[in-house]
Amino acid sequence: MALTRATLTPFRVGTKELYLPDITIAFLRTPTSPPSTAKFQVPPWFSKLDLRDYLYHVYAVRTLSVRSYVKQSRVIEGDPLLPRPQPNRWHRPRPTKFMTVELERPFVWPEEPESYDEWNKTEMKESEETQKELAEANGPGKDAIVNKDRRGKMREQAKALLEGNVKWKAGEDRKGSGRLLGR
Amino acid sequence: MHCTSKTLLIGAFGPALRRANTLPPAFLIPSFSSPLSSTPFSTTTATLARKDGNPNRGVSALRRTGLSKRQRVTSPHVPKDGSPVILPKPVLDPQSRSTVRVDRTHGLYDFFNNDRVAMMTPTELAAHGRAWSVQELRRKDWEDLHRLWWVCIKEKNKVETFKKERQRVGSMYGDFEADARAKEVRATMRSIKFVLTERWYTWENARNVAMQDDEINLSTNPDQGERAYIPGNEQQLQLEDSVTESGEEGTYTPMSGEIPPPPPEASRNEGARV
Repeated sequence: MALTRATLTPFRVGTKELYLPDITIAFLRTPTSPPSTAKFQVPPWFSKLDLRDYLYHVYAVRTLSVRSYVKQSRVIEGDPLLPRPQPNRWHRPRPTKFMTVELERPFVWPEEPESYDEWNKTEMKESEETQKELAEANGPGKDAIVNKDRRGKMREQAKALLEGNVKWKAGEDRKGSGRLLGR
Repeated sequence: MHCTSKTLLIGAFGPALRRANTLPPAFLIPSFSSPLSSTPFSTTTATLARKDGNPNRGVSALRRTGLSKRQRVTSPHVPKDGSPVILPKPVLDPQSRSTVRVDRTHGLYDFFNNDRVAMMTPTELAAHGRAWSVQELRRKDWEDLHRLWWVCIKEKNKVETFKKERQRVGSMYGDFEADARAKEVRATMRSIKFVLTERWYTWENARNVAMQDDEINLSTNPDQGERAYIPGNEQQLQLEDSVTESGEEGTYTPMSGEIPPPPPEASRNEGARV
């Protein structure tokens, strides 16, 4: 069985048979690459021969050549998966490996969906922006934050007072006025 | 570099010759009467320099040298009659490019859903069943388990592909559903390994028992019609053993793989007393 399969393959396969390997690879969309290529993210220990063999035996995809690239990770502080920050724990995460194969038959990725409403992309973006603003308002640089909306409103209020359109009264618009006078 | 006597002489005597009051020395005057010979000082002849068989010697795209005299472009785009070359022009607008026909049976479609869309929605990702349990997998043979293992691997690759695509587009929902899906797949894979491990230990224990059993002959070849299990063989062997033991007065050989015979009544009683 193995011998016939080995003789039928377009390349020379190894003699070691793996029955239950647990290898996960991801197929990546590359908009700028030609359709004759396909890019994958593979485990760091993966070799070009491994990917050629994997694609042929698992997906019946024939490849002409394989290119490999190891992307170094940036130095980060602490574990990003943990909820609490870990100061002064600088480390460099494991690098990621990418491989680009030249396909025998071209492949074009399916088109992107017209809208990402199903994925709540807009809501996710808004929530991220709000969280960022809140973090900045409570962060160490909160004293330096300039509230331009409040500044504009105060300018309008002052202008109305100076022109005499509005008459100022102490604590008029506040419930319990005069309560903080003794402070 | 090649150096000739002409260049040397021009360099040495050029400025001097311009002055009218100075003349070359008398012993050099005969050499000026005849045209100067250009014999190189180098022992290597100019024609033989850099003849290393490299046809692309001196041809550089960076310096824009063009092809050398002896080189000729051979391409299907180049007409052989010498008419000007019509090169294909790159199409810079992606919209006006011709579409690539993809084979419907391309293997890379296995990285996607049956709908062959770029991404699964969170609702579709969440629409999955539970993992295979150990009790269900115990009834499956090796071929089925092996097939299911690779189905799980492909499913994991699919989920991972969609995850990377979501990260490429931007932050959006779907990670939670994808993780739940991958968790069920991992549970199935763990159950497959559990069942296979259990099966191996069962087989190993059965083999050990069969080695102790006289009715079973493990060295037979069932493919040739030989019977491994012969019922009633145990009694015959026991009879044979009793015959041999009667001759040797109850000697026990540990290599026979049998339980030693019980000790005689007298020694058992002594042991009880002690």
